[in-house]
Amino acid sequence: MSENTETRSAMMPALPFIVLGLLLCIAGGYGVISVFVKGHEESYGVTRMIPWGLLIATYAYFVIISTGIAFIGGLAHAFGFKQYEPIGRRIVVLATIVLLAGFTQILMEVGSPVKMLHMMLTPNMSAPIFWMGTFYGIELGILAVELFLVFKPTQTEKSRKLAAVAGFLALLVGVLATSNLGYVFGSLSARQWFQGIYFPIFLVVSGVTAGAGLLILVHYVMYKGRLTEEVSKSLVSLGRLMGGGIGVMMLLYLWKLLSSLFIGGGDAYTAAVALVKGPLALNFWVGEMLLAVLIPLILIVTARGNVGRYALAGFIYLIGLFFTRYDFIVAGQLPPMRGGFFGAGVVTDFVGMRLYSPSATEWLVYLFGFGVFFLLYFSAEKFFNLETKHH
Amino acid sequence: MNRRYFVKGLGTITLYSFLPMPAVFDNKYEWDPFETTTSGKPEKKHNYAMIIVQDRCIGCKACEVACKAAWNVPKDPELYRTKVLYTARAQSYSSKMTWLPVLCNQCDNAPCVKVCPTRASFKREEDGIVLIRQDKCMGCKTCMLACPYDARYYNENIHSVDKCTFCLPRLKEGKTTACVESCYKNARIFGDLAGPESEVSKIMKEAVAYHTLKPEEGTLCNVYYTQDV
Repeated sequence: MSENTETRSAMMPALPFIVLGLLLCIAGGYGVISVFVKGHEESYGVTRMIPWGLLIATYAYFVIISTGIAFIGGLAHAFGFKQYEPIGRRIVVLATIVLLAGFTQILMEVGSPVKMLHMMLTPNMSAPIFWMGTFYGIELGILAVELFLVFKPTQTEKSRKLAAVAGFLALLVGVLATSNLGYVFGSLSARQWFQGIYFPIFLVVSGVTAGAGLLILVHYVMYKGRLTEEVSKSLVSLGRLMGGGIGVMMLLYLWKLLSSLFIGGGDAYTAAVALVKGPLALNFWVGEMLLAVLIPLILIVTARGNVGRYALAGFIYLIGLFFTRYDFIVAGQLPPMRGGFFGAGVVTDFVGMRLYSPSATEWLVYLFGFGVFFLLYFSAEKFFNLETKHH
Repeated sequence: MNRRYFVKGLGTITLYSFLPMPAVFDNKYEWDPFETTTSGKPEKKHNYAMIIVQDRCIGCKACEVACKAAWNVPKDPELYRTKVLYTARAQSYSSKMTWLPVLCNQCDNAPCVKVCPTRASFKREEDGIVLIRQDKCMGCKTCMLACPYDARYYNENIHSVDKCTFCLPRLKEGKTTACVESCYKNARIFGDLAGPESEVSKIMKEAVAYHTLKPEEGTLCNVYYTQDV
């Protein structure tokens, strides 16, 4: 117990993040209110031909990280990965709050969120997006049960078994939800770039990697670098998981890009060109390749158990991953549905790709999502004890 | 009411709300993954179709105006149900310009219907017209991404995605579509392919060649393009 109070007293860094969250919420809240007043059409930069933009990317960014964290929690609870047990509470709290932050984005993006009710009243079971709503809804329910279980004052054998079941379900539904998100895009018959098995797998792998990165980062920040040996072991193990994840991502990147570019024509090729040397090239090379792959990988390989390096790798990776999400969503929509000739009613750039740039209001709503995350999570850090008790 | 009953009641209601409602079964256009597009077009009582004789179109865009006026389509040039595209003129001094009127193809294998999570987009069994129930459309815009023809747009005034309906309300009044009515060059011809005596059927029989847009998408369009010359 004394150890617990000691670590609690060391945990003052939450306050600045709560203030940051509040500031972001105020700035973002201005955007949110202006969307309600002015309407989507005037506020957002999305168009008829690029209907999904920054907000869908931010939504995907958050919810996929959340399921990645839940995946790691499932490894700990259900598959006997004991090294992740000392961080059990933070896993559940973080997964829940990141998911909620993601939901703010989809609610602001969808034209009339109230009518989402019809997904339950008259569902179209063959629509992938129906399953997206269902899986993420169930995931939130499972996380709520897990929250209840990890914060239960008396831990019995029964509650531990229940936690194992819930952890396994969170892992299973999380993987289904995220891979199904890939299918939501893959089912768009008019958009070749999204089709195939690549995105369902890539999203799951990059999500688990991001989950590991965020867990390391949050623990490192909350302990101000002075980690207990037990937690330190967990984080080193997470760092290795992250390294493995980035390795798999590299392999996936390589073959997706090569196979798309090799064909030399069609929408998937155009999208790949947009990434490699088109309008998204800077995002791709600096954001994706440098920040999400190369720098984190070098840091992880040279870390040799140094948690600070893993945390830095996680931080840089999480920034890079945002570019990954944004590029993935925008690149697939850049090839126009018909050539942008004069009089075609389609505006394209000089290489024949559609144009999209997020509006200021979209950026504000984006900030709102991060504000919600910082405010809720670090408030939880401040007002609840997120240290996992010894079993 | 004690807490136990309250919780039980709440649980029961939640459970029932997840059960598929009868409305789920009223739409028989259920997607069958084993049905291939090569199995041909489905049987329909009416098979409404539009034939566009491309070289008759002179690009006056009266159809665009008539459509916007008939269906309260917002003024924004990006928002339209039908559009006349300017496609070609061989050289700067060529006198002949080629135009391509486009609209919703009312596909028999409609990608937009398949991806709609709320069944707001649906295909009428009796005549094959693809419609949107405005009260159900939540504005996720997945259908806009799935459509290979760029036929859909989000109309904020009605809080729903909107598209060409082959002027179904006008058809019910015994009129033809607004674009056909406004086309003085008779470039657009609308009718029922199920009726052998209709003008569209006759053209389809006589036409040496006709095509649909992007046939490789397997959408089985009901808007056909042909030429006079």
